[in-house]
Amino acid sequence: MKFITRILRPEQVRELVTLFLIVIIVLGFGAFLKDYYTGRTFVRISTSIAIIAVVAMAQTLVAITRNIDLSLGSIVGFCAFFLGVQLSYHHEIGPVPAALIAIAVGTAMGLINGLIIAYGRVPAIITTLGTMAIYRTAIVFYSAPEGGIVSAHRLPLWARQFASWSIFKMGDLDFRVMVGIAILVVIIFQLILTYLPYGRRLYAIGSNPEAARIAGFPAQRIVFIAYLIGGALAGLGGYLFLLQYGNLMVLAGVGLEFDAVAAAVVGGVNIFGGTGTAIGAFLGATLIGTLDYSLRRWPAISEFWRNAILGLLILLAVATDSAIMARLRLMWARAAAAMTMELAESKTSSSPQA
Amino acid sequence: MTEPILELRHISKRFDMTQALDDVSLAIYPGEIHALVGENGAGKSTLIKIATGVHQPDTGEILVQGRPVVIHNSQEAQALGIAAIYQEPMIFPDLNVAENIFISHRSRGPIVRWNKMYQDAREILAKLGVVMDVRQSAQGLTVAQQQTVEIARAISLDVRVLIMDEPTSALSLHEVQQLFKLVRSLRDRGIAVLFIGHRLEEVFDIADRITVLRDGKLISSRPRSEATVEQVIRDMVGREVEEFFAKSSVRLGELVMSVRGLTKHNVFTDVNFDLHRGEVLGFAGLVGSHRTDVALALFGIEPADAGEIVIDGKSVHIRSPQQAMELGIAYVTEDRRKFGLVMPMPICANITLPTLPKYVNGLGLIQRQKEMEVAEEFRRRLNIMTPSVMNTVERLSGGNQQKVLLCKWLNVQPKVLILDEPTRGIDVGAKVEVHHMINDLAAQGIGIILISSDLPEVLAMSDRILVMHEGRQMGIYTREEATQEKIMAAAMGHPEAILERQA
Amino acid sequence: MQSSRLASLRRMQFLRSWEAILFFVFLAILLYNATRVPAYLTVGNQINVFYLYAEKIIVALIMTFIIINGEIDLSVASVMGLCAGVLGRLLEMGVRGEYAIAAALVTGLLCGLWNGLWIAYARLSSLIVTLAGMIMFRGLVWVMVEDRSITNFPAWINHLGQDAILGPFPLSLIIFFVLLIFAYIVLHHSAFGRYVYVIGNNREVARFSGVKVQQIKLILFATSGLISALAGVLYAARLGAMRSSTAEGFELEIITMVLLGGVNIFGGSGSLIGVLLSILTVLNLRNGMSLANITLQQQTGVIGALLIFSVLVPNLAGRVRAELNRRRFARLAAEQTAPAERKEVKAESK
Repeated sequence: MKFITRILRPEQVRELVTLFLIVIIVLGFGAFLKDYYTGRTFVRISTSIAIIAVVAMAQTLVAITRNIDLSLGSIVGFCAFFLGVQLSYHHEIGPVPAALIAIAVGTAMGLINGLIIAYGRVPAIITTLGTMAIYRTAIVFYSAPEGGIVSAHRLPLWARQFASWSIFKMGDLDFRVMVGIAILVVIIFQLILTYLPYGRRLYAIGSNPEAARIAGFPAQRIVFIAYLIGGALAGLGGYLFLLQYGNLMVLAGVGLEFDAVAAAVVGGVNIFGGTGTAIGAFLGATLIGTLDYSLRRWPAISEFWRNAILGLLILLAVATDSAIMARLRLMWARAAAAMTMELAESKTSSSPQA
Repeated sequence: MTEPILELRHISKRFDMTQALDDVSLAIYPGEIHALVGENGAGKSTLIKIATGVHQPDTGEILVQGRPVVIHNSQEAQALGIAAIYQEPMIFPDLNVAENIFISHRSRGPIVRWNKMYQDAREILAKLGVVMDVRQSAQGLTVAQQQTVEIARAISLDVRVLIMDEPTSALSLHEVQQLFKLVRSLRDRGIAVLFIGHRLEEVFDIADRITVLRDGKLISSRPRSEATVEQVIRDMVGREVEEFFAKSSVRLGELVMSVRGLTKHNVFTDVNFDLHRGEVLGFAGLVGSHRTDVALALFGIEPADAGEIVIDGKSVHIRSPQQAMELGIAYVTEDRRKFGLVMPMPICANITLPTLPKYVNGLGLIQRQKEMEVAEEFRRRLNIMTPSVMNTVERLSGGNQQKVLLCKWLNVQPKVLILDEPTRGIDVGAKVEVHHMINDLAAQGIGIILISSDLPEVLAMSDRILVMHEGRQMGIYTREEATQEKIMAAAMGHPEAILERQA
Repeated sequence: MQSSRLASLRRMQFLRSWEAILFFVFLAILLYNATRVPAYLTVGNQINVFYLYAEKIIVALIMTFIIINGEIDLSVASVMGLCAGVLGRLLEMGVRGEYAIAAALVTGLLCGLWNGLWIAYARLSSLIVTLAGMIMFRGLVWVMVEDRSITNFPAWINHLGQDAILGPFPLSLIIFFVLLIFAYIVLHHSAFGRYVYVIGNNREVARFSGVKVQQIKLILFATSGLISALAGVLYAARLGAMRSSTAEGFELEIITMVLLGGVNIFGGSGSLIGVLLSILTVLNLRNGMSLANITLQQQTGVIGALLIFSVLVPNLAGRVRAELNRRRFARLAAEQTAPAERKEVKAESK
């Protein structure tokens, strides 16, 4: 016990639990389903979570500061659309400039959210409920001359093939570029959250806003930047969305914001601020994606059970978090207190004057 | 003598109706522990808020090392080397100890070097002579440890004036001694400490200089060597204890409530008392004596685990506030804002809240007229200063809010009324009115439990006084046998000390 | 004398209130539409304006209670879909219409109780619980209906959903007005309504005053489930069909209407008058935009912008006022401290 509290933090225990659940699901379904342990399964699951993992990262950033972003799905949709239309007319745009375009557009949309929330002091839920509708309307306007759609066959060749590009292949085990991008994003943000003063301040603000104000760091600017980055990530999500699906309608990305909340919550991010990690959110997305795919493969039940089970999963995640995480933290605190006692004793026994 | 590090000159501040500070001047020197004492509402908090930039003075000026400054917010105060530690520590529960110390540092490089941070944190804590696991999450820290972390944060920021606002109010005796050791070591390192205290024995223990505020004015400022407890109390109160509204003795009626062996694990144990009609039973004790928890158990908010409560001869288990109210118990909370009143709602709606079903007609509609009439009557009876009972509570002064809170519970027509710090934070005039009312209510035959940290108040108002210390009942003293010394000794956990001396 | 001053004070307060602003916006929209379309102000047209949104505005009534109580219910649209699904499936299986409707309503009630139990007794946040509910109940519709669409409702059900049954009024609107009056009385004139406000303002004060906080929250969410079920049945009856995606996304528009009515997202304040005015404003605005050939999707964007501005503009106005005040005080303070500073400079120069 003492050893465990020394090398792990409660959040890491939470991550391990999520990972453990993923393993259980894989082993469980693997026992039932034929041809489950194949490269195909890996490809399907990994590509299905790439977009959601990136968007969940955006949701995690703002959730840590006690905010929420309901407009992410619309931003993803708009960026995908904008880029889709641009690529339809400009085949000369390469993959990297295209990504930059999508990210820039997403950043602009995040900027609007951030300005209204951080500086206009409008509650995040109201603001992003509004911009969710506005950005969706923007898609409608923007796509009107195109007949409201983007078709894959008008995209440049690279964009049609991008989704099947792979980083490395081993038999039918195929590690796709899209997945690589998502994992890179997760790693980058885990590092930001752990090692940059900015990342730590996100936690501080969400942990105790009043104390953050008194400690004197610029809470407004930090929240504003979180939305800016969130927008950028949603832009990247839009880029992946376009390349994954190719054919878009005006409803592209609807509901992604809720999927992102679900992934974050299942991964242990507290949407009321202060706790949560990038890796946790990624594991949450992976858990959902794995369950989703496996259920679809399972012939015994209808594939339509997916959402019913997902809803239950979210509820169980928060219920156990509220019941267990508090206790876990207490256990850690007790262990630390015991250590402090030990330290104090060793100190007094070693010092001669005591 | 050296130059004062922080000087306040002729500071005045007014809030709406009350003159919070009236021409107060104060100089704080490096290497000195300067204690500021006064009753609630004397202006201590306002003074701190002005020194830390939360409020701006109406007139007067602030000098730091002899240079006049204008402080707009706590960041600017921090930059000038002034930091404050409040009753409720300002920590980040989701971050660990080391991060809590260094989170507001700007110059620790673009990347968080965790190991270096742990090491620096350990060094700072070692300098303070504190042992603590720096990787521990702040969530699990005790209040005392949280304060230590805050002090470490202040030290790491190179603070030269440390303001401590009643830091001992939530600490046990042992923790207080630890804290004082720390504060003395800060003084010895040349830091100026402004210590706001509410327990005189502590103040006399730690302070080099004692300054008394009363009703927003500076009354006296003496080195400790020249001050005596009696003098300081006289300065604080401004009147002899006789000026308190003393309870007129009433012949006690029959038993209304009797409590035997009431226990809540890890909170309080074995509380026993009887309460008669028309009696005021004082509950004395320091903060941390868990008097309020006993009240919460009697009112069903946090039910007790064991013991017996007998009301009107019937043994009852009180499990909810609704049940307590049905049994005729009312509890007037010490924290108006959090538990007492709905600030943005009208006075009359607040008064009728616990008894709302009584104001509902056959169709289930609230009879506004009846509500207004009741509220209007209370307004006259208790002299609540407001143009209309339809006004919201948040627009009233503290004293008037307290009266509304009392009305709310008087309207329940209780047999047992528990008053938790009913005069905390209200001005002297309102205080006398509240005392008047307690007297009236007792005369009407209500049994009253009066929880108060104001010792003279408890002594003057109670028929008998129950003293608690860290969740244990130390004894019940009758009005005749109770003295300030006896009660204080019992509250500090040594009832026999005084008795022996007297013997 | 004093009473007349009080009355004029109240008039002033009303003029500065959110309700008054909404009222004038509504009038302006109404007048504008009326000048552009001759038959706009006829009863028939106004009924039509309401008819198309009847289900949403019915749910908005209970949503007002829930948001004033300091909570939120994101699952209403999924409950609508689920109950429409239960109705459709049972009718398909040949169950009598009355029983199918009853089963749909019971389903809604159970969904509401499910949410309410987690929120009131396990004390989980309603945002998450009802988000989970939203996903889960929608999932159950998919399980039941899959990707088909169910039509062929009995004629009398279609009749109830589509035809005027009392004068020119269809059933859904009659239900809306009856519920509106009932909700108004409960929220603004009953003890229950008072408790809803008190809890929304300060849950602890309510508890310390003997209010049964958990019970009231449970009742609110259960009612929300029931009302959503009713709305779902009405919606299916009006369309004469249902699919798995029936009513998807309605929750956002319902919440928007409530918030636009001046109800505080953090609970404790707001009124049904405000929500009614907001409903009138939104519906007439939409109708006007439809007449100007603006698509539904584009209209939603305008409503979204309106929602943000309804909070942003008062915020900014308050900030500007505060800033002006601060500058005035700063100037006064500067005048007071100026002599002292001069003294200081002199002292240093010596």
